[in-house]
Amino acid sequence: MSAAAPAATDPVEPLDVDLVKRSQAGDTRAFDLLVTRYRSRIYAMTYHLVQNETEAWDLAQEAFIKAWRALPNFKLDAAFYTWLYRIAHNVTYDWLRKKKIQGDGEFDDERTEHRAMPGSRTAPQGFDAPDRAMKRQELGKRIQDAIARLSPDHRQAIVLREIEGLSYEEIAEVMKCSLGTIMSRLFYARKKLQEMLKDTYENPV
Amino acid sequence: MKTPSDENHDLIRWLDGEMTPAERSAFEATLKNDPELAAEAESMRQLSENLKAHLPAEMPVPHADFFNSQIQVRIAQMEADEAREGRKSAESTAAWLSWLRMPWLAGAAAAAFAVAGLVWMQTSPTGGASTIASTYTPNPAVHAQVFHSTEAGATVLMLDGLEPIPAEKKVAGFRVHHAESDAGVATTTLFDENGVVLAVVALNALGQPQVLK
Repeated sequence: MSAAAPAATDPVEPLDVDLVKRSQAGDTRAFDLLVTRYRSRIYAMTYHLVQNETEAWDLAQEAFIKAWRALPNFKLDAAFYTWLYRIAHNVTYDWLRKKKIQGDGEFDDERTEHRAMPGSRTAPQGFDAPDRAMKRQELGKRIQDAIARLSPDHRQAIVLREIEGLSYEEIAEVMKCSLGTIMSRLFYARKKLQEMLKDTYENPV
Repeated sequence: MKTPSDENHDLIRWLDGEMTPAERSAFEATLKNDPELAAEAESMRQLSENLKAHLPAEMPVPHADFFNSQIQVRIAQMEADEAREGRKSAESTAAWLSWLRMPWLAGAAAAAFAVAGLVWMQTSPTGGASTIASTYTPNPAVHAQVFHSTEAGATVLMLDGLEPIPAEKKVAGFRVHHAESDAGVATTTLFDENGVVLAVVALNALGQPQVLK
């Protein structure tokens, strides 16, 4: 899965596989290192999906707790992050589904603005002039708002594709629907985003 | 003939790099002859770039230290609950198990280093999987966690909250194979798998387990 994050490459940093084995033996400090290593990615994923800081924080934490419980069954046949990512996605997906069943379609309350972490994979590179930086920031905020206004299914498809870089097959597997449905969701999600952000393209940054 | 849905799918498959080289060439030829479709494709490509640039794959977790510590607390609580459940279950199936809440280190309690007791109950006399039936820490500030690996043939006991143990103190444990209670003298004798007596336990006047031998 493309969601695999690079494991620690610094020779001083313990490898994921070693930390996982220690965690499986009950070493909670090793697990704490894994939490520290992946919390930013897992939190970003949950945040993009639920668009609420508090809920995203809780869901990310729930994902790590579930991972700890499931660790004895993890056979190390996949990258730890790929495995963790699936758990986090399932936790968030279940939450979104419950939210949908309860008829609570609002996801944009208590939303707060975030900025990319310095050095993160998608963080803008280089330095911008102040007016340009401000425009970028405004665009970022508008994109976040637009994403928040998508339906959960459309938002999920976009996040999995654009941020996590999953293939259509992987998205279909994660979202448990057909390839055709995934393509339709991606198409209509993008059309809606285009509509919401159309003046961005008329006055590009 | 392609339906509008097929055309939409072609557009995003091209955008997402999900086409085969042949499909890609054919679609790009179509784009050259269809300015409206080409404009739509360009607009979607820009959108995709903007999404990638403005939706970070990593975000700083608010109160990150608290995030980690809460996970540790929840894991500890979960395991304590499970241990308690296991203990309740064991107690309900055999009343004499309550006798086995004994200090792990004979005499160590008196030395203020007494830490924890463990009781394994084998599922069959011939070996096989073992179950940790009970843990007991005389000092409530000490939290015991036990991890057993059948595959490794090893058990690890972790004690949190324990004072440093001097090097000359030896920490040892034993594996209980079975126990026999003697109602006449109100004691329980613990045996290892070879039938050797490991310890004789009785309750003292305060109802606390005490190792007699």
